[in-house]
Amino acid sequence: MAKRIVIDPVTRIEGHAKISVYLDDDGNVTDAEFHVVEFRGFEKFCEGRPYSEMPGITPRICGICPVSHLLASAKAGDAIMAVAIPPAADKLRRLMNLGQIVQSHALSFFHLSAPDFLLGWDSPPAKRNIFGLIAANADLARAGIRLRQFGQEIIETLGGRKIHPAWAVPGGVRSGLTEEGRARIRHWLPEAFATTATAFDLFRRTMASCPEEIESFGNFPSLFMGLVSSDGSWEHHGGRLRFTDSSGGLVADQVDPAHYRDYIGESAQEASYLKSPYFKALGLRAGMYRVGPLARLNVCERMNAPRADLELQAFKQMGRGAVTSSFLYHYARLIEILAALEHIERDLDDPDLFSADLRADAGVNNLRGVGASEAPRGTLFHDYTVDRTGLLQKVNLIVATGQNNLAMNRTVAQIARHYVRGETIPEPMLNRIEHGIRCFDPCLSCSTHAAGRMALRLQLIGPDGSVRREVVRD
Amino acid sequence: MTSGLLVIGYGNTLRSDDGVGARVAESIEDLGVPGMRGFACPQLTPELADPVSRAAAVVFVDASAEGPRAPVRMRRLEPAESSRLLTHAAEPSTVLALARDAFGRAPEAWWLTVPAEDLGFGDRLSPVGRRGLKRAVETLKAFHRGRSAE
Repeated sequence: MAKRIVIDPVTRIEGHAKISVYLDDDGNVTDAEFHVVEFRGFEKFCEGRPYSEMPGITPRICGICPVSHLLASAKAGDAIMAVAIPPAADKLRRLMNLGQIVQSHALSFFHLSAPDFLLGWDSPPAKRNIFGLIAANADLARAGIRLRQFGQEIIETLGGRKIHPAWAVPGGVRSGLTEEGRARIRHWLPEAFATTATAFDLFRRTMASCPEEIESFGNFPSLFMGLVSSDGSWEHHGGRLRFTDSSGGLVADQVDPAHYRDYIGESAQEASYLKSPYFKALGLRAGMYRVGPLARLNVCERMNAPRADLELQAFKQMGRGAVTSSFLYHYARLIEILAALEHIERDLDDPDLFSADLRADAGVNNLRGVGASEAPRGTLFHDYTVDRTGLLQKVNLIVATGQNNLAMNRTVAQIARHYVRGETIPEPMLNRIEHGIRCFDPCLSCSTHAAGRMALRLQLIGPDGSVRREVVRD
Repeated sequence: MTSGLLVIGYGNTLRSDDGVGARVAESIEDLGVPGMRGFACPQLTPELADPVSRAAAVVFVDASAEGPRAPVRMRRLEPAESSRLLTHAAEPSTVLALARDAFGRAPEAWWLTVPAEDLGFGDRLSPVGRRGLKRAVETLKAFHRGRSAE
């Protein structure tokens, strides 16, 4: 007689969700699912509004990655206007996106995942958090907070301190960088590099001590997708889509993001509000792909950042073809922080950042526009259809967490198979399953466009649908 | 950010009255009252612990979960005793505890809650939210005057 374990909600990720783990009569895990129980409705809400308002509206979907929505939305607007934005505007948008990557990855690594690394999987849950981290290593915890502050500083330097700055607009950006702003950003860089080096040290020790987790936390073949430049380099804002498989082979390359619908299908699941995109040509089951740091590093050939490129080489040696363990999302996140810092350091010397030519102007020249950008968690698509006056007729947002949905399901199932035995639910097992989800750093506010917070419930349910056992964590 | 009174308003401004806290903070910042700053954000995040630790006092402003008939209410806050940073976001008491533990100081703090009526998608406040916004700003101005007179 089969049974089901439900973890509801999952902690230390953004949004509201639960995990179901299905057991057979012998207590062996047969399958698992990650459910999102918030309702999405944001796309409908936007219909009828001018497309030019979207960069001011969409960042409000999420308090963690507003910049990602801001930039993708502005790019969709560029496409509707059919303009090439001024080079300075493109460079400034890129600078802001790098700040976003740093702040978001810092939060994920230092605050949400490092407690497991530093304090141990089996440490008491009351201590396995940022406060436990402070108690164990206050300097590290403080440095992590400050690294996130640095990313925020870049965003605020460019966009101002207003809660949702519509700084990027269709056609460009509203303002450039000042000398004072550049000096402020530059002042932070040495500390940011030092903190990142410390994080690398910590994670190298973690990798050495966690071979079982590397092997069992979402380690399976899949496709990977991310933006790359025309020469295959790491991209975070421009470029085209590349799909690779787990052997590292190209599946599709230099795909115009505007044509994503030819490559990506979207499936709805009965038990979740999260859409499940898949690579269309292979169908829902075989077309699972991953996005985000792990995928971006798998699909790119170089990062054009010397120190990050050395780490990228080491990273790529951890897989045969592609690096397939989702546990190594953390490593990829650190490499991306390092690359972002190197790019920021170099880009600050670009005189274009101070140009007054920041915005192209045009009316509606296309009735559909797609904007794609790499959010910290993966590729983000904003797809707008407008009428001749620019009013939105249809909005489709494909966010990173949704694209990782199938892989998160499989990760949970793999971890559960490895650690769950029978109907007992020991805390360390619970934490490992949760951590499998945290590897992806999902943002459910984004993926369901709902306001919400995540907290954890685990249920063991028999084949007759009855709850056999339940663990709740607020 | 400030060494005086720091008003941190948080909430989703795309969820109607849920954003009233953020709007209160923006209003306070726009007032430009010496010694009082407003900072609006969608949710409380760890890096707020740094400016919080440097403020003389902090008021967190949020929409009330107690329904539209709840009053604008100000309560004293203490740092969380056994805090857990559960998600990307944090509670006010957690931010205070982070300020204390990571940056060495948790200032005096209060939690100002403003009644909410409509939490659906929307970028405007309901009549209840608008009245609450006005009342909350007046409450904060009076609170600041009182502290300055001490």
